[in-house]
Amino acid sequence: MRAHEPAFREAAARLAAIGLGDRQYARFFREETGIAFPLLVDEERKAYRAAGLRSANLLHLLRRDNARARARARAAGHRQHRLGQNPFQLGASFVFGPGNADLFAHVSETFGDNAAPAALLAALRGPATGRSSDAGIRR
Amino acid sequence: MAPTLAARLADVTLPDADGSKVRLGSLWEQGPAVLVFLRHYG
Repeated sequence: MRAHEPAFREAAARLAAIGLGDRQYARFFREETGIAFPLLVDEERKAYRAAGLRSANLLHLLRRDNARARARARAAGHRQHRLGQNPFQLGASFVFGPGNADLFAHVSETFGDNAAPAALLAALRGPATGRSSDAGIRR
Repeated sequence: MAPTLAARLADVTLPDADGSKVRLGSLWEQGPAVLVFLRHYG
């Protein structure tokens, strides 16, 4: 996401991330990554619950796609410092528009299952007409 | 008609890393917004 910030700015989109844990770790994450967009803290999982995001379990660690995702992350220089209060919480990426429009959804099915930045940018640039309510929605 | 996911999230207010409160719906009120739910920070 960080590497694509200019593209998102060019698409006139705001970026924001929500994470579990506390503000201290959000600040640490911001300092370590240099991320400039808002990092929000959801210690009580209010937003996660409202979005219907679920948790994985230990068995997910045995999945091959997870091993590949971990290898990709390590190769990109990402290091995990702390597991957080719910290490099995899965994430998601959404694109929303004015009028509370759902433009795109990618709900992670396992660890490392993240929306490709290109897909998010495509949702931002997509046609305004002819879009069904499920277009681009992967749940 | 069921509320959109954006509508369900719009009134959720969360603090940012500096403690300032952000109402999620304000992020996409004027234009599109990408909202990423991370597993955790760090």
